[in-house]
Amino acid sequence: MNWPVAELDTIRRLRALAAAVPGAFVAETTLDAPFDQVWAVAADLEHELPAYLPDVRSFTVTRRDGERLQAHARGYAGLRANFDIVLRPGWCVMRSRFLLGGLAAVPDGQRTRFAFLGGVHIPAQRAVAPALTAFGNRAAPRVLSRFASRVHQRPPGPAAP
Amino acid sequence: MTDPGQLAGLVRAAQRGDGLAMAEVLDALAPAVSRWCGPIALQDADDAAQEALIAILRGLRGLRDPAALFGWARAIAVREAVRAARRAAHEHPADLAELPAHGDPTVAADVRDVLARLAPEHRAVLMLRDLEGLDEHSAAALLNIPAGTVKSRLSRARARFRREWQA
Repeated sequence: MNWPVAELDTIRRLRALAAAVPGAFVAETTLDAPFDQVWAVAADLEHELPAYLPDVRSFTVTRRDGERLQAHARGYAGLRANFDIVLRPGWCVMRSRFLLGGLAAVPDGQRTRFAFLGGVHIPAQRAVAPALTAFGNRAAPRVLSRFASRVHQRPPGPAAP
Repeated sequence: MTDPGQLAGLVRAAQRGDGLAMAEVLDALAPAVSRWCGPIALQDADDAAQEALIAILRGLRGLRDPAALFGWARAIAVREAVRAARRAAHEHPADLAELPAHGDPTVAADVRDVLARLAPEHRAVLMLRDLEGLDEHSAAALLNIPAGTVKSRLSRARARFRREWQA
């Protein structure tokens, strides 16, 4: 007996994660590029994160063990943070002491659905969650636009390791 | 597959608000949530599974024993799947008498069609009994209905289904 099974793709999972973290937000778009081309940009954290996240000056991977990575980020406003990361095709979650980030991509024919998650861990997180979400929702279109530009500038090829 | 000790540690970290641990708990639960929601919510199963994951992650702080994660999550997923299916405008509840017999080969032809003729609550009973292997008492407790009701209705319904199929 073959029972029906629900489909929980990575974007649905990212939405669920964002809904459970006070103040987190998810922004989604559909890119006119195949999955491999999109994920080549998403997975190339060292080179691409500083290109599409406005506040990140550098992002250096310091350790790589299968799908688990560690990285050190530097921002233009003096931000320095170490990130623990889980990265695999179509899914990336990054967590520092104060920040949570996520990327998800799902093939949609020759196009790709892409989602970006942002959030923070701070002491008064629940109290300021609505303001954080509103801020994130305002900033998200710019991030998605810059990400799309990076995808379209990048020639099709294998994803970064 | 995350081992139980490691999963318990992830649950505790997620309960403290660690987003990466929440993502890993989500990874561990997602296949089971898909399996639980599919037979109950049918065409609304994808939305139901997402809603179930949200309810599970939001409620995680209230889970006292991390070892009980899957049983606790299953109750939430079944509740969300029944709710999603009932909400769907295209729902057509059928009589419990249409429940198929366990292992009946006629059922394999199109399980989805057979399930679609049942009310969401009845699909939940069937999934818990025949897919998850729960006994009547466990299924009844999870669905908050008397065990005797589950047992007698399943028995009568399966017998009637077979009679009608053979008629």
